[in-house]
Amino acid sequence: MSQLLDERRPYGPRDNAEFLREMNELTRYHLDGCAHYRHICPMFQGADDRASLPWLHVGLFKQINLRTEAEGIHHERTLKSSATSSGVASRIALDRTSSQLQSASTLAILRDFVGDQMRPLLVLDSAKSLRARGEVSARIAAALSLRPLASEIQFLLEDADNPASLKWDLLEEKLHGHDSLLVYGFTWMLWLAWAAAEIPTSVRQALSGKRIHFVHSGGWKKLEAMQIEPEHFNDTLTSTLHAESAVTDFYGLVEQVGIIFPLCASGYRHPPVWADVLVRDPWTLAPLTSEPGQLQLMNTLPRGAPYHNVLTEDLGRLVPGECACGRSGTRFELIGRVPKAEIRGCANV
Amino acid sequence: MSDSLARFHSTNGPVTVVLPFEYHSIIADWAALRRLMARSVPSAFTRDEWAYLITFLDPENLLSTFTESFGAPLTDADGHDEPDAPSHWIYRPRGAIAVWLPNNVSLLGPLTLILLSLTGQRIRLKLGSLAEDLCGEFLKYAVTHLPDGALRGYLESRVTAETFERGDRRQLEFAEESAVRIVFGSDDAASAIHALPHPVDSVGFSFADRRSEAWIAHDAADDAILTTLIKVFAIYGQAGCTSPRRVVVPDGTPEQARSMRDRVAELWPQVIRHDPPMHVASSNLLASQWALALGWDTRVTERHGAVLACGSIDLEAFDSPMALRFVAASREQAVAGLPDNIQTLGHALTDPTDSEWLRLLAGTPVLRFVPLARMHHFGAVWDGQDYWRQCFSAMEVHS
Repeated sequence: MSQLLDERRPYGPRDNAEFLREMNELTRYHLDGCAHYRHICPMFQGADDRASLPWLHVGLFKQINLRTEAEGIHHERTLKSSATSSGVASRIALDRTSSQLQSASTLAILRDFVGDQMRPLLVLDSAKSLRARGEVSARIAAALSLRPLASEIQFLLEDADNPASLKWDLLEEKLHGHDSLLVYGFTWMLWLAWAAAEIPTSVRQALSGKRIHFVHSGGWKKLEAMQIEPEHFNDTLTSTLHAESAVTDFYGLVEQVGIIFPLCASGYRHPPVWADVLVRDPWTLAPLTSEPGQLQLMNTLPRGAPYHNVLTEDLGRLVPGECACGRSGTRFELIGRVPKAEIRGCANV
Repeated sequence: MSDSLARFHSTNGPVTVVLPFEYHSIIADWAALRRLMARSVPSAFTRDEWAYLITFLDPENLLSTFTESFGAPLTDADGHDEPDAPSHWIYRPRGAIAVWLPNNVSLLGPLTLILLSLTGQRIRLKLGSLAEDLCGEFLKYAVTHLPDGALRGYLESRVTAETFERGDRRQLEFAEESAVRIVFGSDDAASAIHALPHPVDSVGFSFADRRSEAWIAHDAADDAILTTLIKVFAIYGQAGCTSPRRVVVPDGTPEQARSMRDRVAELWPQVIRHDPPMHVASSNLLASQWALALGWDTRVTERHGAVLACGSIDLEAFDSPMALRFVAASREQAVAGLPDNIQTLGHALTDPTDSEWLRLLAGTPVLRFVPLARMHHFGAVWDGQDYWRQCFSAMEVHS
């Protein structure tokens, strides 16, 4: 169990030695309990530094059912990614022990960014999305991570994939009953269903002056294609609201469930003290100190499968120095995805 | 353009081929373009692709399209064509040719265009809707750079490249108005196109989903052969239907397969000197871990250019654009492990002419058994279909 997970101080002083010790221990634990993982890193004895710890490529979770079997581990559900790029979803085996740690982790991070005031949580998804037996989508998992901060939860969409199905009457009802609300949606859905939507006049009037904290995730790919800039996105959402309204964009992967990276006021992202980030050269894997490269994400929480240390297909850059936002430790910029090119072949791929 | 009669001597006797131009002059025009092509590489093509096109346009290679289909040119003692030689067969063009090319089709697009141009018939090309279309790009290049002459006039007036979606009325027109349909694409796409209304005497060809592999004997695997393997594989990796997806060491041992894999890993950076695109480097890291998890012995080449794995022939396969598996197998195991849609079997064997090989392969669906270096060589017969000769109908002549 991670000793680093301190819910009150997610960005407090880092104990790098303890982090390395826990990561070494977690790696050995997964090697004992996961045969596939053992095949991939059979020689591991221990690492002297974070960069030497073995990692798994995130794409592996789309190809292989990775699970760690150990005493006290009960696999309960499977977390599925949205599979928007490749058409194949990552599948992460969730277990009860890790889920508790991951919920505590997400809550600590979110509380640091959105505060701990209880208010209604409005989710841009459909309640039907909760009903998939044994599986949970990335979108629902992200929304439910805000549940501990919610006095109640309402799902605003009739159809999870149709931004035009927003239940305006329900939104209006909640606006009339509360001055402060929390709203979560995937970035593109928040834009299409809310920011760019034809909002009924009565709802528009009810929105005026309300304090709303929008939280969104899922990336900018679809909005980049529509040439929507983050500043325009934020301004559109908050223009008629109370001045204390805010928009928080967070980055996260199902392969690092429990760890999210909200954008701080200075424009950077910070791992909590029970997680860390490396950047590697795509062609040599050499760790990079300030140049752009592939992001490697690690944390001390997962017990049910070896997703504690993954090489992503996201590009980023470590930013040296202290952050003006006040959070200590590593900070990074998210640059985008590894650029894909069409595979040229014989029309059969 | 007036018709020209070209004479050849086939195994069935002398034949006459009716063409709308002198085929020598069309081949000479392509050769002229070839010289211009050597000056620079258009941005749509890789250097390897452009170099292959230049090689393909060699006059000898283009002439072989005629000779492999109709026999040697019929010439007199001085080497001139014999215009009045009697014929047992007259081949006449069937008529318009329609070609369907999807987005990601490789060099097969321009290569098909070049060979079909030798028939002199009207050609309608249905291109993919993405910008990186090699066939359309090559046609534009040829029309822009060719000097005035028969080929340029033909390409400008008789060849069109069009882009449209599946439901477009031109899809129907292509099928209804063509005497020959050539479809590149998935099995389903080809079936759908051939199911469109078409003339009853028209012919259709599908170049659909195919796989290839290389058989390399341990004794034949010197550095030159392994360098050829790297060059042949690296152009398209597993995405090419003529690229080897697997290397079989027939009658070999697992140690021989491993040593061959190790030598390829050592040679790779000497043969492929450029870095792979970032996403390929990343997918190779993924593939190496996937392969390890399945029990393969895996090596990633320097700078993550390829994944080379060796293991037992019955290990579960893994898929990745630049991953190549090496397995030792008995001949019977190798044949049993061929995919149903096997196309090309590239060989480097001690004696490939040994009748034992032909006896072994006769009962398989293998369509080409060629030296490694010829795996990608496109010709007048493809996927086991003599589509080029079938662009002509035969008239039997007896005196």
